[in-house]
Amino acid sequence: MAAQKNNYRILTIVSLLLLLVFIGFAENHLDLYIVRILNVCAIYAILGMSMNLINGFTGLFSLGHAGFMAVGAYTTALLTIPPAIKAQIFYLAPLIKPLDQMNLPFPVALFVGGLLAAVVGGLIAAPTLRLKGDYLAIATLGFAEIIRVVFTNTQTITNGALGLKGIPALTNLWWSFGAAAFTLVVLLSLINSSYGRALKAIREDEIAAESMGIHLAKHKTLSFVIGAFFAGIGGGLLGNLLGTIDPKMFSFTFTFNILLIIVLGGMGSFSGSIISAFIVTIANEYLRFLDESIKVGMRSVVFSALLMFVVLFYRHGLMGANEFSWERLFGNKVYQKTLGRWTKRPRKGGYAG
Amino acid sequence: MTLDLFLQHLSNGISLGSLYALIAIGYTMVYGVLRLINFAHGDIFMMATYFAFFGIVTFRIPWFITFPLVLVLTAALGMTVEAVAYRPIREAPKISILISAIGASFFLENLTIVLFGGVPKPFPAPTLFTDVVQVGTVAIQKLTFYIPIVTVLSLLALLYLINKTKTGMAMRAVSMDQETARVMGININHTIAFTFGLGSFLAAVGGIMWGMKFPQIQPLMGVIPGLKCFIAAVIGGIGNIGGAVIGGFILGIGEIMLVAFLPNLTGYRDAFAFVLLILILLSKPTGILGEKTAEKV
Amino acid sequence: MSLLKLEDITMWFGGVAALKNFNLELTPGEIVGLIGPNGAGKTTVFNIITGVYKPSRGQVFFKDQEITGMRPDLITKAGIARTFQNIRLFKGLSVLENVLIANHLHLKANYLTAILKLPGYWKEERMMREKSLALLERVGLADQRDELASALPYGLQRRLEIARALATNPQLLLLDEPAAGMNPKEADDLTEFIKEIQQEFDLTIFLIEHHMDVVLNISQRIFVLDYGMTIAKGKPEEVQNNPRVIEAYLGVDENVED
Repeated sequence: MAAQKNNYRILTIVSLLLLLVFIGFAENHLDLYIVRILNVCAIYAILGMSMNLINGFTGLFSLGHAGFMAVGAYTTALLTIPPAIKAQIFYLAPLIKPLDQMNLPFPVALFVGGLLAAVVGGLIAAPTLRLKGDYLAIATLGFAEIIRVVFTNTQTITNGALGLKGIPALTNLWWSFGAAAFTLVVLLSLINSSYGRALKAIREDEIAAESMGIHLAKHKTLSFVIGAFFAGIGGGLLGNLLGTIDPKMFSFTFTFNILLIIVLGGMGSFSGSIISAFIVTIANEYLRFLDESIKVGMRSVVFSALLMFVVLFYRHGLMGANEFSWERLFGNKVYQKTLGRWTKRPRKGGYAG
Repeated sequence: MTLDLFLQHLSNGISLGSLYALIAIGYTMVYGVLRLINFAHGDIFMMATYFAFFGIVTFRIPWFITFPLVLVLTAALGMTVEAVAYRPIREAPKISILISAIGASFFLENLTIVLFGGVPKPFPAPTLFTDVVQVGTVAIQKLTFYIPIVTVLSLLALLYLINKTKTGMAMRAVSMDQETARVMGININHTIAFTFGLGSFLAAVGGIMWGMKFPQIQPLMGVIPGLKCFIAAVIGGIGNIGGAVIGGFILGIGEIMLVAFLPNLTGYRDAFAFVLLILILLSKPTGILGEKTAEKV
Repeated sequence: MSLLKLEDITMWFGGVAALKNFNLELTPGEIVGLIGPNGAGKTTVFNIITGVYKPSRGQVFFKDQEITGMRPDLITKAGIARTFQNIRLFKGLSVLENVLIANHLHLKANYLTAILKLPGYWKEERMMREKSLALLERVGLADQRDELASALPYGLQRRLEIARALATNPQLLLLDEPAAGMNPKEADDLTEFIKEIQQEFDLTIFLIEHHMDVVLNISQRIFVLDYGMTIAKGKPEEVQNNPRVIEAYLGVDENVED
């Protein structure tokens, strides 16, 4: 057993090293289009994990994620666009002081974006905490819409419906994968702590959790705030990847895409969200031909049908509420039937199936 | 503001409120029997306007034949959505059902984009309804008067159906206690399907009139009215038909008046409903006519 | 000194009084039973004590502090733990996790310390685990600690629910029909178990129960509720022979029980 564990540890370290080498290689040698898709994959993984914390682990059906992302994206963008360019973009009405002159390093701007999103998350959590199920869903969706409407109308801060252009392309694979890894480590550590158990208890049975002494409002807010923080970081990375953002981008459709990712990956599994973020993003690119060869919108039809298909027939998604582990992988029936035949079986899989 | 102008705003508010009310009833009835937001309801409403468009423009069927056809087709669509997206997972955790509902909604929207294109189409409103009449110094479309009348008539028919017919009784029984209703020999599936059909029928009535009032139809036109009408249902007290009507009027009139009296806030018009929703959820989560129910522990 | 005192509690649901002018006083170390036909308002009493409901009228005192309508988690923190009539375990979590969660209220480390896994947090986490494992050992669930709570057989689920309540370090334990659905043998075992833990953990126990053998055997005093009114109270033998009780409850007990 101990040797087994050691082997798996080595395997993990080797995989991480390989990933680093790959990122270094990809960043410098791969096609820009592919690099961009990989960036989007990592950013969607961040968004998926953060939404999973709220929806999958705490059991709060929140549909406000696009709002948190918007806050992060706008903040990061406004803090990183050079003052000269800001003066050009805000031609209808000038940007308020001191934002017009501010220019912060990317990581600081990202962090501030995350913090502001977290503050918004806390503000949204406070009044909506008492709500359950679909009431919570519609209220959080409402908040996200309010954020969007506000952003459309605050010309002197967000440039209104025109959006922000000329956002410096600071997001690269190091930042996006680094942030994704950071998100994963923090969220896993949270969920494996006593606080994480308290969140899961709330998901399982709110009334029982409360009668075990868990302060519901405090823990739900914690989940919202941390989830919103990482959503804000994801939003910031996305804005500085795409170069332009506008309020329309952060509509309910965006939240829907993230929802698709966490449902497909498994509500309550961070590794599921990561795997599914890659699948959905790459499939989204791959299926572009549907829009091009058949008709515009076909891709979205396929995606919404896919979401329904997963929920109707495959409710637990790829990972259910389990996390990836080598034991699981090598114990997997499919693996044992294929690759496992040629490699020595590590150990009888306790998690098979 | 002159009295004339105020009256014009008021009549606009009332007709918008009537439309909201018609759609809100569908949400509230479905919520009554399934305890579920039918996220696709706004899209069913949108489909009704497309049905009308194709009937009149493409197939050149006279409006008085097209409109009843639209009502039937839309009701059938509502029942289909129920059978495909809701019935198979009725026993699943609520979160799954909600996701399926959202999936159904997006599916309908995107399918419409693929089939009919994303470009707005003009709604073929018969001039009989869109003519303008002069009332004092203000010009008002006839439609503005017809809409509340049609709404009231539909509402009366609905109340008769729910309170005086066997099917209506079955609906009420299912919404009170599904298990007991089943034991009493009520066919739950039929009743739920009928509820969806009825809600969609009313959404189609609203959709046709909406198309005449705002004569441009496009695949995403159902999203915002859908959300607003769900909010109207919550404000009135979800599960309560009278509440949905009251909520619809509060929202419709409130929205028009907001823009009329505070033109600076015009850009925030679509946020009005959400702000109202959050206020009501905080102060009286069960809505105006809703009853308090204690959760069984 | 009284541990728990309910003064003149009335609870209205819509137009129905689920509980009328209910009075109760528990002294430390007692085991007291609460019986009555279905719908008599027994669980309502528990819900009012634990803060799930706020009574329409009346006051609740715990150790001479008023706790009427206080937040349920604060009441648990103050020292009142409960089980539920329809078993409310965290079904998708392991047996050990169920008990660990009940330790969370004593955690001093904040969430940042917990995420960063600082030594202070580790120490507390280790202590929680030791305590929880000891508790599982005590109630005979140590072998099943990694199983899902929902995978346990019914009787063990009830036992786990009690263990989970014990993990909050209560002084007062409220048991809502702990023997429901058990055969006489299992009910006997449970009676013994409750008596043992009462001694070991120095508890005061207030329990709702339909199994008359269990209640009569275990309780020092019994309250009988019917239609929200206390129709009798006293020692088991007194209650047993009270004609109003026989009429309201004992005579029909076996038929109404579910």
